Amino acid sequence: MAAPRDVFIVCNNADDMGGLQRWAHHLARLLAGRGDRVTLVGITRGTRPYHHGRDGSYAVEVLHAEWRPPAMAWRPATLRQRLDVSARARDLWRRAAQRRGAARLSELFAAARPGSVVIAAQVWAMEWVRLADTSGLRVVGMSHESYAATRASSRYRRVREHYADVDRMLVLTAEDADAWARNGMTNVDYIPNALHVTPDVHPTLDLPVVACVGRLSYEKGVDLMLEAWERVSARHPGWRLHVYGSGPDGERLRAQAAEAGLLGGAGPTGSVEFRGVVADVEEALVEASVFALPSRAEGFPMSVLEAMAYGLPTVAFDCAPGVRALLGERTGALVEPGDTAAFARELERLIEDPDLRRALGAEARASVLRFHPDTVLERWDRLFDLLHRDLPSGDPAGEPVRDGREPVLEGDSF
Amino acid sequence: MRVRPDVTVVVIAYNDAWRLPRAVASTLEQSLGGVETVIVDDASTDGTGEIADRLAAAHPGRVRAVHLPSNSGGCGRPRNTGIEASAGRYVMFLDSDDLLDRHACLNLFAAAEDAGADLASGLCDRIFLDVPPGAKGRVRPWYPWLYRRRAVYGPLEEHPDLLYDTLSTNKAYRRDFLDEHGLRFVERLHYEDLLFTAEAYLAARRTALIPHRVYNWLVRERTPAPSISNRRADLANFADRLEIHRRIDMLFALRGAHDLRRAKDVKFVNHDLALYLRELRDRDPGYRSRFLDLAAGYLAELDPRVFEEAHPLPAIAAYLIREGDHAAALAAAEHGGAVKRPELRAQLVERDGRVFWGTGRPRGTLGRRILDVTDFGFHLRPLKDLRPGNTVTLLEVRGGRVRMAGYVLNPLGRIRPDAELSATLEFGDRRHRARKGRVRAAVRHEGDRLAWRAEFDPRRRIRPVGFVDPVWDVRLRVRVDGEDVVTRLGEGPGSPPLGGVELPVRPRLTRLAADRLRSYVTGGGHLAFSLESGTPWARLAGSTARRAATSPAGRLAWGLVGRRARRTEKAVRRTLTSRTTKIAVFNRVLSRLPVRQGLAVFETHLGRRYSDNPKYIYRELRRSGRPVDAVWSYASSPKGFPGDARLVRRGSWAYFLALARARYWIDNQGYPDGLRKRPETTYIQTWHGSAFKLMGQDQPRVKSGSAAERARLRRSVERFDCFLVRSGHDVETLCAGLGVRSELLPAGYPRNDPLVNGVDGDPELAAEVDGLRRSLGLDAGDGRRAVLYAPTFATGPKGRPVRLLEPPIAPGVFARELGEEFVLLVRPHYLCRANLPPGAHAVMRDVGDVPDVTPLLLLADALITDHSSIMFDFALLDRPIVLHLPGGRDRTAGYFDLERHAPGPITRTEDELVAALAGLDDADAGHAPRRRAFAERFGEHDRGTAARTVADRYFPAARPRHKGERRRKGEYRRRGEQHGRTA
Repeated sequence: MAAPRDVFIVCNNADDMGGLQRWAHHLARLLAGRGDRVTLVGITRGTRPYHHGRDGSYAVEVLHAEWRPPAMAWRPATLRQRLDVSARARDLWRRAAQRRGAARLSELFAAARPGSVVIAAQVWAMEWVRLADTSGLRVVGMSHESYAATRASSRYRRVREHYADVDRMLVLTAEDADAWARNGMTNVDYIPNALHVTPDVHPTLDLPVVACVGRLSYEKGVDLMLEAWERVSARHPGWRLHVYGSGPDGERLRAQAAEAGLLGGAGPTGSVEFRGVVADVEEALVEASVFALPSRAEGFPMSVLEAMAYGLPTVAFDCAPGVRALLGERTGALVEPGDTAAFARELERLIEDPDLRRALGAEARASVLRFHPDTVLERWDRLFDLLHRDLPSGDPAGEPVRDGREPVLEGDSF
Repeated sequence: MRVRPDVTVVVIAYNDAWRLPRAVASTLEQSLGGVETVIVDDASTDGTGEIADRLAAAHPGRVRAVHLPSNSGGCGRPRNTGIEASAGRYVMFLDSDDLLDRHACLNLFAAAEDAGADLASGLCDRIFLDVPPGAKGRVRPWYPWLYRRRAVYGPLEEHPDLLYDTLSTNKAYRRDFLDEHGLRFVERLHYEDLLFTAEAYLAARRTALIPHRVYNWLVRERTPAPSISNRRADLANFADRLEIHRRIDMLFALRGAHDLRRAKDVKFVNHDLALYLRELRDRDPGYRSRFLDLAAGYLAELDPRVFEEAHPLPAIAAYLIREGDHAAALAAAEHGGAVKRPELRAQLVERDGRVFWGTGRPRGTLGRRILDVTDFGFHLRPLKDLRPGNTVTLLEVRGGRVRMAGYVLNPLGRIRPDAELSATLEFGDRRHRARKGRVRAAVRHEGDRLAWRAEFDPRRRIRPVGFVDPVWDVRLRVRVDGEDVVTRLGEGPGSPPLGGVELPVRPRLTRLAADRLRSYVTGGGHLAFSLESGTPWARLAGSTARRAATSPAGRLAWGLVGRRARRTEKAVRRTLTSRTTKIAVFNRVLSRLPVRQGLAVFETHLGRRYSDNPKYIYRELRRSGRPVDAVWSYASSPKGFPGDARLVRRGSWAYFLALARARYWIDNQGYPDGLRKRPETTYIQTWHGSAFKLMGQDQPRVKSGSAAERARLRRSVERFDCFLVRSGHDVETLCAGLGVRSELLPAGYPRNDPLVNGVDGDPELAAEVDGLRRSLGLDAGDGRRAVLYAPTFATGPKGRPVRLLEPPIAPGVFARELGEEFVLLVRPHYLCRANLPPGAHAVMRDVGDVPDVTPLLLLADALITDHSSIMFDFALLDRPIVLHLPGGRDRTAGYFDLERHAPGPITRTEDELVAALAGLDDADAGHAPRRRAFAERFGEHDRGTAARTVADRYFPAARPRHKGERRRKGEYRRRGEQHGRTA
């Protein structure tokens, strides 16, 4: 094992009830568990704080108790916008506040031992890290979504700008890393998220239940799930679909299910159950035999990771590199996005063949070991090691010289 | 104890004192800490050695300097010396004029370690320093397709494509690996990289590739002394390259790796040779002939299969060099270049129904296979896309008048001798296409070429502005039967020296700006002119103007005013003519104008053709004399559209204005998205076929798409006021899939009326069918029956339509087996083009250009299709249908089981199709009942009255119009009737 280090994980906020915060606390626990001194920094406080299994093994800091300046930096595009005095004033206010936060961050960093690493988990948090004094540290920037999702949003420009000079930029899958590398981010690499559940019980895979866990929103595609389920339940009336989660589309989806005659009572006419938010995912997974992921867009779906850990075969739309990285040939089925008929066919194939379910489920449990905390930690260790590999003799390779991504040529004499 | 560095970067330098520090800085800045730099100075004479020593002294332990005692003249010995001096576990190479990416060492080191590879390779970007930063073409990646994604390859045989990347610099080599295999660069030969990388690839047990850029190759093209490997002008250089290739061939041959050798030679033909050939035009004749001799010598040693495996045009070039036909070879090399729409500078010949490159008859089976360019479709392309070469044979000035002459190639006699010809020479400012001087030219048909000739006074015909238009070029526009063929004038066989001819001109600005256009030949071999001045006064004025423009003040002024003004002008023009603007103006302004009663806008397939349902509704309205003011939209050419309607180009202001004021929209596909239809307008959506394939919201692509995309589709369908349906099937599938909520008019399709009624009552259509029959050469005396082959498009591996439609039966086979009895009419989907060789004409006809399919259906005696919706229409004729579904095309998801409900036999192979056609009549008795059931099911409402039903439902009948009768406008509105002027 590598020597203990100081690790700073900087998030937009460290205490909201979100997937990213869950990941951050999990990683902090893992690193602290083997001796690293970990500080989890939230730029601001979350709106509804949640403990995330905080166990005191790592410190948690917040830079701004409240963030009232504009969330985004001011980027005037036209002359008229440039003349907007109030926007300019708000931006000055923002910058001043940001500098105060960054100074606080610098204090934290100053106490770090040599060989320390700063992980900016989100690009917004990276703005503070960039302003802070990181000399002697190595900075890692992370993007927790797929390349395509970033490309389609305003984050793309900010990632290009703020992560250009970090020592390493991390995404979740090799495919996303390659896409960023083609895009010119030569510092990109990938480390997947670690599995954060340890199943005590496993589903028997003979209950006639398909589970679908996710927010009830358009991109999670529960409407497609219901469409596919119409076909499935017609031929397999004994099987039930459990939909877990809540969200803005809840009413509409219930109406869709009711219209298709899938709601209410038992038997073929009521084969769909909306079960709301589940506190412990184990409850949902142990009584299912098949897991379905009908999403239109995903990053690195932790729900699939969990389902695999519980030994459930998965049917999913092939919607993102994260899904492809998780599901191989023999752990489930990947279906062309939007092809609900094929989705139904794959579900039926698993429904009709208990042996196939078992085979795929067992394969999933084995395959998920790729994301075992130890394996993922090893990757982190290797990264820290690569970033701090100095030649023992000669001048200390302290601060690496930061230049642009494109070689600077203007200053040349030729 | 000294810890071994992870990576050693060997930086080689020769007389490069100014750039060496920059290169070394790029190794010192590496994000990987354990990097050692070894500078090898190849006995420089400009102080590079001292610089190297100083760098080493400044970074002890990280930089070392090694000096060669005498200059080696290449890159081989310095790199070998560097390898010997290196301590790192991996070795990389950097030239003193290039730069490493900041993360190059880390990325390559990590990739090699993770994969346990002997060799790791990353992307190399060439940065063209002559191109301004940020401009297009400044950064050009080197073989990016090799570096799309990270990969680990085993032995080279698994992935011979690696041989394309022959750079040694974008890679990290395990030092022990180099030693184990004794891998070193050859010395005293250029292109040592090629041999070194070939040996390294071959020896590596494992090779790791990463898509990250690792190396910045800085290229300076406009320089008095290009770097060693870019000096292609030197013939010895090419000889070196061939020598290296011979050694690589030998290396592979010794290992018995004949497949690899061939793969490498294919790369030589595709890349190395093509690179030289494309530059050959600029070289002097002596160089050219010696070069071609050298090349021919090497090409003769290659396995003939190399020519077959290489890309077609480079293969033709290589093959013809071997055969000694240099002109045609160079034309092929140029045609195969990176130019988007290349010129055709060689003659083509047609033999045995195929098209071949060059004038000579191709010899032997190899020659026939290599030179066959039938698939390029030169015999089918529209004339304007043919881009034949134009060679100038005369360019002189005598007594102030310019005399020019030349010839345009007429490949395959595409321009017929009886064609009506006229020609114009167009001189144009290269930066501003609008500034032109036009001169008429005489043009004469001479068989395989068109000769042209012009004489004019340039002072009157060409009027440059002066200062702002320094470069002019010239084109010849030949009008062939109304179709324009634009060619660029160039040099070629028979050309006199074209450079240095001076055309006297009078610039508009002032005679001080310039007084003549001086000709020169561009790098691409075209004739161009530069605006120059001959008198001392003019030269003085010119240099003053230039100095003013390049002075700090001038630059500032240009930057502040000139450039910004130009940018603004462009931006304004772009904004004003953009579709977004037009749609916004349509929605906010145009659709507030009063509706013109009786104004109907017709469109078929986004304006592509005058055909389909809108055409037959239009004809019915005309026939019944209804007072309709008709506007037809066309996409690119108004040819073929009715003369008695107003024609507007789709997307033009006139188009949007017509749509805004129209009382009716009649269309079979869709008007531009985003147009809000006003309530006064009635949108009659006829659609263009019953559905087998999933439509609208039923398509997986739409289902998985964004909510915004689905909303867009919904909005555009919500505009319909009427939707024509042919059967209950349409209602369940098409209407449900598209989400149609408008009135469904169960009228059947107007285009199918003639299929039900026949053409007897419609002399106009009967004449159209007869004309078509004649133009296809299917006269009554022929006796053969016409079979229409009309499949929908096949989807390629990338999800895009496959552009080329091959006939379902090879022309030779068809002629032999069925040629006595049938003629095949090949009708590709409008997104595709039929690939029929000229030899197929005896038994096959390309009917892709026939605008309307209905007459084709009428004259076809049988139909071959796949799951195209044409089967639903053709079934109404109760003539045989064969479904040809090769390669599992029926596995496309559809609304019903095609196999179960097929209106005729299903064939999967060419042989089955031949058999089905041969036994068409005998089998028909068995298929007829199914077909009739099919027609009844899908053509439920097609009763031959569709057009009339639509007209009666939406258009008030014509009333006899009395002369002198004047009606008040208010009267119409009160009565709600829509009379316009009758056409």
